[in-house]
Amino acid sequence: MNADTKKLISNQYGRVNAPPIERCRVNFCTDMEKSVLMSNFERRGWNQVGQDDEWNFYWASTQTCRNLFSVESGYRMNDNQIINHFPNHYELSRKDLLVKNIKRYRKELERESSPIAEKAEVVLPGGQVGTRYVHLDFIPVTFVLPADYNMFVEEYRKSPQSTWIMKPCGKSQGTGIFLINKLSKLKKWSREAKAPFHPQLSKESYVISRYIDNPLLIGGKKFDLRLYVLVTSFRHLKAYLFQLGFCRFCTVKYDTSVTELDNMYVHLTNVSVQKHGGDYNNIHGGKMSVENLRLFLEGTRGRAVTEKLFSAIQWLIVHSLKAVSSVMANDRHCFECYGYDIIIDDQLKPWLVEVNASPSLTSTTVNDRIMKYKLIDNMISVVLPPDGIPDVRWNKTPSPEAFGNFDLLIDEELLEKEEMASTGRSFKGHKSRN
Amino acid sequence: MESLKEDAIHHTAMKLAEELKNLSIYKSFYSDVQKLVSSPNVKKEDFKHTLQQAMKEKGLDTKLRNTVFHWVRSQNKQNKLDPLTSLSKASAQWEKRIHKSLNSMCSDLETSLAKVRSQSEQEDLSNKWNELSTYNLDLTKYRPVYAPKDFLEVLLTLSGYVPFTKEGEPKWEFAHLPLQVKNLDQLRKIYVEWTNGEPLLGVNPNMPSAVSGFSTIEAERIGLGERVTALGYAPVIQEYLKKGSPQCLRAKLWAQVLGADVGAQQTAYFNRLKKSVLEVDLMIDKLIFKDVQLTASNDDQYFVFEDLLYQVMLCFSRDSDVLQNLRGCIGNPLNVTIKGKQTSADSITVFPPSGIIPFHGFTMYATPFCYLYDDPVQLYFIFRAFYIRYWHKLHYISTHPQGIVSLCLLYERLLEANEPLLWIHFRNININPIRVVFKWIMRAFSGHLPPDQLLLLWDTILGYDCLEILPLLALAILSFRKENIFQVNNIQNVDAVLADLSTISVIPLLQLTLMKPQ
Repeated sequence: MNADTKKLISNQYGRVNAPPIERCRVNFCTDMEKSVLMSNFERRGWNQVGQDDEWNFYWASTQTCRNLFSVESGYRMNDNQIINHFPNHYELSRKDLLVKNIKRYRKELERESSPIAEKAEVVLPGGQVGTRYVHLDFIPVTFVLPADYNMFVEEYRKSPQSTWIMKPCGKSQGTGIFLINKLSKLKKWSREAKAPFHPQLSKESYVISRYIDNPLLIGGKKFDLRLYVLVTSFRHLKAYLFQLGFCRFCTVKYDTSVTELDNMYVHLTNVSVQKHGGDYNNIHGGKMSVENLRLFLEGTRGRAVTEKLFSAIQWLIVHSLKAVSSVMANDRHCFECYGYDIIIDDQLKPWLVEVNASPSLTSTTVNDRIMKYKLIDNMISVVLPPDGIPDVRWNKTPSPEAFGNFDLLIDEELLEKEEMASTGRSFKGHKSRN
Repeated sequence: MESLKEDAIHHTAMKLAEELKNLSIYKSFYSDVQKLVSSPNVKKEDFKHTLQQAMKEKGLDTKLRNTVFHWVRSQNKQNKLDPLTSLSKASAQWEKRIHKSLNSMCSDLETSLAKVRSQSEQEDLSNKWNELSTYNLDLTKYRPVYAPKDFLEVLLTLSGYVPFTKEGEPKWEFAHLPLQVKNLDQLRKIYVEWTNGEPLLGVNPNMPSAVSGFSTIEAERIGLGERVTALGYAPVIQEYLKKGSPQCLRAKLWAQVLGADVGAQQTAYFNRLKKSVLEVDLMIDKLIFKDVQLTASNDDQYFVFEDLLYQVMLCFSRDSDVLQNLRGCIGNPLNVTIKGKQTSADSITVFPPSGIIPFHGFTMYATPFCYLYDDPVQLYFIFRAFYIRYWHKLHYISTHPQGIVSLCLLYERLLEANEPLLWIHFRNININPIRVVFKWIMRAFSGHLPPDQLLLLWDTILGYDCLEILPLLALAILSFRKENIFQVNNIQNVDAVLADLSTISVIPLLQLTLMKPQ
């Protein structure tokens, strides 16, 4: 134990654990010169080049990436090039497509009579009985408008007193979001918004979801989780969860009264929304670490429920990724870091709210900057082969030392190998008994 | 001989029985026993034996034992006069300065120390009681009465004895105070489990357990801890805490070891404190608001708990039990007239009723408990118990071996004896080594260590029931970072080397310091 202690201590010192990295010629290209990105590239001694040059590592915006992959561009990547997006990431990040994919995934599993797709009857808030998936009920009931309007009305009638949240599919950072608690309000909105229910007149579609009106509160305030998930491959699925996520708090006490329904400072946790509230604090930015959330929950609620919550969160992430894995263009040149937004309700059940394919790399506080610097650093270590030069022929199995603050969520290839090894063993065992 | 001993035990028992009658739990305890006596389990023929058995079954036996334990612990404080007159003089002068500063702040701001709140003000405050961060107060002109830095200046001039120092040389007066402090070997005898290298929580939770049936040390500690907390016997819990508590049991264990469980009586008491906050406006309330704002509200570990902390700190200032418990340890608070009240016996108040004037960072004594209790009443009584048992010693001048003066002295002696090169380096660069660690010790590291590490450290304070771990940790951190300290030669840079403690693993560091063979 003495040696253990010493090892632990020797790992403790220093702010950012930055072992010297062998300088190798990697040409990088980026179209957003965020400081957390640039300082990481510089520390690795990489060389910046333009888009038309011979780059190895491209940190691109989703738009740039789409252009690059488009048929018109005709760009063909070589074996030593990687880029930070999958061509059709929107299957996961667009609110309507995410819902569609998850619904399809559930149906598929149900058809295969998978135990994961088990259903059970539950009592809805309105007192009526409905059926829900036992293990795959991790997104709030959601419909795409205008397409699913009739289905929505049917669901709405089952529990007319619940609140619903409307979000435009293509927008982010809390823009265009509002809450409704009466069908008449939705109708009024649709009239005022110049008939968005006629797709030919308006391109914009919305999703409407049951609003989680019983969020877990800490210090009386609502929060959501922002977790970072790195995917290096969709088939086989290989995904990692970053340990240093955070909670984003509303600056105002949570209040469900009807008068506060329009006060977005109460309901939305987006930093871009909260920043405009009078009580926004620049030192902590309303952010608390996930480690401290775990400490608080273990201290006040106990260990078993806390463990259950965190494993439910991992479950949710893995199955949301599996839901899109069949439709994703699994280009070996790609990796992607997703920002998962999750709300925890007062029963400590996590709900997936949305997935962002280009989570903000702007730092709002000092701790935020340190965390995002580590995120990028660890991400580069995981996606690059041990020699540090991008190579698509590499099997994308980094050694655990390269993980940094990432935990392996799932590696289907490894699982498959293990399974084969174990069935092989049991087969042999069987034989010897004979 | 036997009979003499029996007499002595009898005498002690009689004295204890008398003392118990004065305690707040006596009434309910007595009625519980009465109920038990009338139950069929207690037989007239074998009264003593059956009653004892019934008390054991009902848990009243443990309750009685714990009550005696807590009573004995509350008795062994120093009631005799401070043997060092220079200290008591300095302490009185310091108190006078604080009172003067309060009074002049009042006259500068044209307000009074105590006044009745108007009806509308009372309503406003009462409506916002659960979100006091939205209670509008103009605090721009309020400044904390003193900061750790100011208090250190006072401590540094304590002995009045100036050795042969040249102008501009640092003064090393602490070392000249005639107080006994322990050396590292003596500390090793206190923290004997640590010194022997026994496995502790906070080193590596996945370390294999030596006890069969448990895979890891963490599982072992949880298993044992569950049994200990179910037993509920305070001395056993104290023993358990020496090796660290798992976070999931800590809230319960801490409340049990301090006798700070919350029942209807405590809730009613808390509500009375709240009522007195609502009725009377003390100038100190503004200082409390200011302190929460300056500390917790700006801290990414604690900002979420801001509203809880306002409640707890305001109520604390009104708690005259604190003054009662600490009489003789904290000086003599002011008596002031409450403006706007008709002259009568209750128009005079002790200012503040708790007798405690907060300094800059006072709230940090309470913030870490927010990770254990989300109910303000429970939070309050734990904080109060900690304060009465430990924290007051960190900001009042006394010769108590656990007091701030002795702890500073202990730190200096430990540093000189165990890190002589560092000691010489500090002399060479003209920095008094206490300056770089004083705020850690005075705040018991709260706000300096991340909460999970801090809670582990405070387990140790409860487990060994002493504060010497604070200077020891200060030494350990300095010694851990000494190579970096050797590189710098002014106070700003030393402070910079020591500013970020977020990567410190408290328990392994302390255990290494205690285990190192000398």
